[in-house]
Amino acid sequence: MRPPDSLSNDATKAQLVRLLAGVSLHGDQHLAEVERDLVQVDALLNEAIKKLCASFMAIHQTIGLQQEALNGVLASGVAGPEQAARLEALRDEISQHVGAAVTGLQFQDMTSQLIGRMVQHLAGLRDVFGALGADGSTALPESGSEEMLALLDSISERVGVHGTELPRVTRSSVKQRHMESGDIDLF
Amino acid sequence: MKTILAVDDSGSLRQMLSFSLKAAGYGVIEAVDGEDGLKKAKQQKVDLVLTDQNMPGMDGLTLIKALRGMANYKSVPILMLTTESGDDIKAMGRAAGANGWLVKPFDPARLTEVVKKLIG
Repeated sequence: MRPPDSLSNDATKAQLVRLLAGVSLHGDQHLAEVERDLVQVDALLNEAIKKLCASFMAIHQTIGLQQEALNGVLASGVAGPEQAARLEALRDEISQHVGAAVTGLQFQDMTSQLIGRMVQHLAGLRDVFGALGADGSTALPESGSEEMLALLDSISERVGVHGTELPRVTRSSVKQRHMESGDIDLF
Repeated sequence: MKTILAVDDSGSLRQMLSFSLKAAGYGVIEAVDGEDGLKKAKQQKVDLVLTDQNMPGMDGLTLIKALRGMANYKSVPILMLTTESGDDIKAMGRAAGANGWLVKPFDPARLTEVVKKLIG
């Protein structure tokens, strides 16, 4: 028959293993979400900058064409229906490019939501480590097995609470991975 | 001039909405969240409300329910403009009294087309 102390040591070791597994799991979950969000932010920013550069160049080019058309009207002194139609077409083209730029400029709204979520995950991770640090610092070498077991139970419970809170912060409201305009549903 | 109340906690988004809607000939009142939107809707009756869902304090669904509880907002068109695209939350929006659901990012031409269809 094993002495009571040995049983208590086994229980402490088992609890310690459970605690470390819990910390590792919660840490992994938080970091995986942060990683996922960073990839999404990177994709959105890349698309946004491409879209904005393309819109900027297109607006610049179309304004040049508009100026040429105006110069033609000024030089000839004639503003007939043909010239008016040309100027109207160029104005519409500029509006379309400005519209594309407006869509691209909305990246900040989405990326700031994702960054906010990453901050929440990092805070969650900090809380888990904080729970370990606060309770762990009282685990003195001279603590008995029973005290150590009670302490590990308490830390595990705290880490577990952070774990159960995780789904609340993991739900992302931003699913977009492209800067294309979204669906419209009229009820 | 028809007036639209644009409710969004993102300053850049409000700026884009305001720019697009004003260019289409509408007057725009901006609000930074649901509470601010409700306050401004009480101060001046608007012709259409465009609201985000996720905002600090009062969210979009709560704002819609509050507006639908007001006699002069029973039939004013309300559109959600949000990053949320799930069918479940859309159904909640519809149940709350929203007339439509637009997923961000928006295209100004498509947005003004929808607004024009609802309020002319």
